[in-house]
Amino acid sequence: MLFLCLTSTNEYGPVKDNDLLDELIIGVANNDKEAFNLLYEKTSVSVYSFALSILKNAHDAEDVLQDCFISIYDSASEYRSYGKPMAWIITIVKNLCLKKLRDRKKEPEPLSDNTDISFSDNGSVTAEDKILLTMCMNVLSDEERQIVVLHAVSGFRHKEIAQILSMQLSTVLSKYNRALKKLRKNMTKGEQDV
Amino acid sequence: MNNKELENKIKQAFSHSVPNVLDAVIENRSNSKGKVIVMTQEKKKRTWIGYVSGIAAALVVLVVGIMGFNIYNNEYKVDSTVSLDVNPSIQIKVNQNERVLEVNPLNGDAEKVVEGMDFKGSDLDVAVNALIGSMLRNGYITELSNSILVTVNNDDMEKGIALQEKLAQEINALLQTDTFSGAVLSQTVVENTELKNLSDTYGITIGKAQLIQQIVNQNPLYTFEKLVPLSINELNLLSSSSNTTLENVDSIGSASDKNYIGVQKAQEAALSHAGISADDAVALHAEMDYEDGIMIYEVEFYYDVYEYDYEIDAKSGAVLKSEKDFDDDAVRPENGNNGTSTDIPSNNNTSADNGNSGNSTNTGSGTSSGSTGSGNSSVNASYISAEKAKQTALSHAGVSESDIREYDIEMDREDGIVVYEINFKSGNFEFDYEINAETGSIIKYEKEFDD
Repeated sequence: MLFLCLTSTNEYGPVKDNDLLDELIIGVANNDKEAFNLLYEKTSVSVYSFALSILKNAHDAEDVLQDCFISIYDSASEYRSYGKPMAWIITIVKNLCLKKLRDRKKEPEPLSDNTDISFSDNGSVTAEDKILLTMCMNVLSDEERQIVVLHAVSGFRHKEIAQILSMQLSTVLSKYNRALKKLRKNMTKGEQDV
Repeated sequence: MNNKELENKIKQAFSHSVPNVLDAVIENRSNSKGKVIVMTQEKKKRTWIGYVSGIAAALVVLVVGIMGFNIYNNEYKVDSTVSLDVNPSIQIKVNQNERVLEVNPLNGDAEKVVEGMDFKGSDLDVAVNALIGSMLRNGYITELSNSILVTVNNDDMEKGIALQEKLAQEINALLQTDTFSGAVLSQTVVENTELKNLSDTYGITIGKAQLIQQIVNQNPLYTFEKLVPLSINELNLLSSSSNTTLENVDSIGSASDKNYIGVQKAQEAALSHAGISADDAVALHAEMDYEDGIMIYEVEFYYDVYEYDYEIDAKSGAVLKSEKDFDDDAVRPENGNNGTSTDIPSNNNTSADNGNSGNSTNTGSGTSSGSTGSGNSSVNASYISAEKAKQTALSHAGVSESDIREYDIEMDREDGIVVYEINFKSGNFEFDYEINAETGSIIKYEKEFDD
């Protein structure tokens, strides 16, 4: 297990171009449209995926994606976390999601089934993607899903994930491995069913 | 499929599902362009205002002469705004020569502090001295709550920082009382629209808004809203307890935790609840946190094969939450004491991480002391043995031990219950069992055709 931990933390770096992202955010602060477009291109997948992993609802996650970039646009001039741009952005996402969850509680009508996620708006989702996404939503616990997304999609190291989610490194590692195991198990089951 | 391949598939699936909202964001921002003022523009705007007052002043110059303009600028123009936050929040505006133009109490407590005092025209030092004295006299800064936040707002960052450092030193000296020392946080801010909005929305100073925002940036679990009601001492405790260094805040002295039971007592409370001695607990760690409106200590430690998580009320020492998780990872910080727990009852021992070792699970009383000594996990006596779990599964499946292959048993935690996960193959079938480790009952079983 220790061996696994060492290899996995070395193998995947965080989103590599921290310096570039720093520059882009400074560019956004100076009203540079190109910088904003590029920043969106580089980080929107991480933003949306993390939001989806918390909210389990494609529509809400899209709202957060939009609000997050509005927030980045507005507060780029206060950006001081040089060297840790993704942590800054992920914090924004997290806070927006928590707000969304609070708002949900206030809504009078019962929530529609969270797990019924429609991906139909987007043409690039394949049938296989759809199965895997649904599996991530249904099979994994909230924490497992967030850990998997932060590592597999955004490339955060387990150590960084432990900081982001305020967990012990050992907890992150065990949850991560358990999550992959669960997914793999369900995938083979799915194949056998077919 | 290996981990890497699975990760790539997950990444791909999520990437494909991202909607494109870039145009919507850009449209949103261009519609409200008037509201968005990035810093560079803001500065330009100020210079422009500066120009107008300059021109206005120039008209005066025609009459009074250049001297008049200088006097105006030196004497009446606000150069720096200093705010002091304890819980009372007081704002002091000073001119270029650090003479007080006005003192504004920003809340009820602050009104009490400034009551009956007139600082207009006095030196900033004198005013600060008197205000700190009044806060001490009125019991706002005490041994139990000794933190103060000093914030300087000046368009000239360098000048702001110089004033901030000077004030922090002065206030720190004033707070060295006979009975306790103060803790001074200080920062320089350049006002911007977001901070201004936050300070207006929550009725707090820009300084406190920036402090909270920094703590939130460091710890994503906090929200701005949640931290607003906290005093500066509590905010100071939170940020110092979690060892986060706030980038733009200087800190002298340490926040008082005398109002609370302290880290030591919190750890004791958790350990005594768990029935574990401090010497046996591994990687014992406690930090202060704020949850559901109260200050708490989060205490964590490992013992045996478990990870313990406690939340202790920071004032009463009551156990608010306790969690005991099976920790199936050997990755532990500093496990110096681990593996020496030979005093655990031995007849129920099992090697839970036996993973791929087939059906040679080491059970039975003879092997136990050896396995614990070599660092293998020993399992709480209240759980059935792995062998018992195995027999339960085999008898349910109706197969004998000699007929099975690829046997695998693992301990896991599912929905808060500790279970044995058992897989094996027999004949043309693959069997999956989940057995409740406490009761020995079968929670789940699957029999699948294995081709």
